[in-house]
Amino acid sequence: SIDMLMSSEKEEDPDVIPEDSSLLTLRIRKKELERREETIIVDRACRQETLTYEMESHATGKRPDNPTDLIEEGELLLTLNIFYPVIFQKHKDHKPYQTVLVLGSQKLTELRDSISCVSDLQIGGEFSSQPDQAPEHISKDLYKSAFFYFEGIFYNDKRYPECRDLSRTIIEWSESHDRGYENLQSVKMEDYVFNDLSLKIGFPYLYCHQGNCEHVIIITDIRLIHHDDCLDRNLYPLLIKKHWLCTRKCFVCKMYTARWVTNRDSLAPQDPCFFCDVCFRMLHYDAEGNKLGEFLAYPYVDPGIFN
Amino acid sequence: MSAVPGLKEDCEELLGAFQQADTVRFERFAELWRERRFHTVFYGRIRALERNKLTKKTLELAQQYFLPPYSFQIRVGALYLLYGLYNAQLCKPKQKIRIALKDWPEIQKFQQDLLDSQHYDAAYIFRRLQLARAFHFTAMPKLLTYRTKKKIEENYFKEEFKDPSNRVNSLITNDVLEELMNIHDHYQKMKCVISADKSQPDKALSLIKDDFVVNLKDMTLEHQEWQQNRMKLFQNAKETDETENKKKEGALLESEGAERANALARIKYRSYSAVVEASKSRRHRQVQLESSEAGSSCGRSPIQSRKSSRRPQPARRRGEMQVAKETAAWHIGMPIITEENSDE
Repeated sequence: SIDMLMSSEKEEDPDVIPEDSSLLTLRIRKKELERREETIIVDRACRQETLTYEMESHATGKRPDNPTDLIEEGELLLTLNIFYPVIFQKHKDHKPYQTVLVLGSQKLTELRDSISCVSDLQIGGEFSSQPDQAPEHISKDLYKSAFFYFEGIFYNDKRYPECRDLSRTIIEWSESHDRGYENLQSVKMEDYVFNDLSLKIGFPYLYCHQGNCEHVIIITDIRLIHHDDCLDRNLYPLLIKKHWLCTRKCFVCKMYTARWVTNRDSLAPQDPCFFCDVCFRMLHYDAEGNKLGEFLAYPYVDPGIFN
Repeated sequence: MSAVPGLKEDCEELLGAFQQADTVRFERFAELWRERRFHTVFYGRIRALERNKLTKKTLELAQQYFLPPYSFQIRVGALYLLYGLYNAQLCKPKQKIRIALKDWPEIQKFQQDLLDSQHYDAAYIFRRLQLARAFHFTAMPKLLTYRTKKKIEENYFKEEFKDPSNRVNSLITNDVLEELMNIHDHYQKMKCVISADKSQPDKALSLIKDDFVVNLKDMTLEHQEWQQNRMKLFQNAKETDETENKKKEGALLESEGAERANALARIKYRSYSAVVEASKSRRHRQVQLESSEAGSSCGRSPIQSRKSSRRPQPARRRGEMQVAKETAAWHIGMPIITEENSDE
């Protein structure tokens, strides 16, 4: 009954702005719409917008199949912005970031596993002489150490025996002279959940992996879980926003994403030059697989690979 | 976050009206809401992503009025406003109202006040919102964003202040007309010279309309007049829309300003036309002068017609200076051709 007082009596189309509106908001919006109609030929959601919207809303209202996975009331939901390390010059002003939703009761290691960074996938080594033997090991498998830094404490990943304490260097450095930092501690990442941490909203923290790949993490929001959120525990940490990076295409076919990069290549028009797998082999190797010309070739992983 | 344009004004206007009504009854608020058809504030062809963002900002703006230090009546109004906006929104699933941890005890106190003073309708509304799960309980009141504004906000120019873009005039300026006149005369003279009768050109040589320059000038003037009239009509229509809240003095005050602007323009014009008279001595400008006079008579009539349409009003108001300036700027744009002729 009270609801009826609010809505109008007759059928209205919410897309049409009424002509005689007394609201300033609507008048301005109408002008804007008219301007768009005049200047934009096709007014439709582009790919990026659809992607952004989908990512934001794809998980709302989801319920798990297994009732033990249901998130209980009183669970905290954190929103983190994880920034990419700056690779391109154009990103210096507006750093691209991805937004992740994390439950309070989740361990830090779960967040660590969910962060996808292109430096994890790098394959080291020069393979011009043996292109077929590019190893399957990616850097993620080789260098497993990582740490988070929150509020003066380094949380190191110690799940595997290869993991080293990357933060030890920093702690030793700060303790060697009186640099003005209070005692920095180092603990194990897998022992902590987010509920145990004391955090500041909007304050930049750090995630470091691969020894020198650093990501800034900022917490933008903490709130209680809500009925309309996704209540399936398995889907968290949930990615809701991601920056779209353009992939570099092969120089020859301009169609496939580049998988190889060559330096000092006598057969290539520029240095460095990117090739997809097929074009690379066709240009640099003959039918028997012998190397033609002089060049250095490295496997290349494009940052846009996560699109 | 950049604000939704115009929303703050609308909300403040509604809350202001509610405050003037001097009651906290929901029925009164609902009347004011329906008067303004506030539920249409989400209308307009907005796509889903944009709509989510817009609704979030709207609710955030309205939520600010719900907390102290605003007065009790404003806070009750804000509660009703939140209720209305939450239910009128077009997003599915509905965007929620954020309440920070630090504000929650105050809101509880507020609810207790409502119950104590027996404003049961407001308490009921609040309970309804709670049951509808309309709240997000957050740590901080505002959701942080880290985007710097990429869009340069376009300046919203007031239509009346802008000079009507007069492309015809900028093309057919006085210089052009003068040139045309001179060339026309020269042409006529040449025709006379080569034809048998020295005083007038041969019939066979009349290939153009003789008075085409004058016609052109007349047409330009006509166009200008038409544009002025159109602007006037447009402004009149806008006035009846916008000033329904303002008192009658508002319209009359503009007529006062227009009166003074008229007087100013007339004085100016008279002083300039004196200069025009003086240059009658130059013969080759003869036609030009006549046409300028013809033009001046054309130019004068719109002033007169406008003057007669206004009602005289002796009272003075504070804001009239600005309005007078506005209409004066408008009027100065009008007799362009006649004034510029005086630049000789």
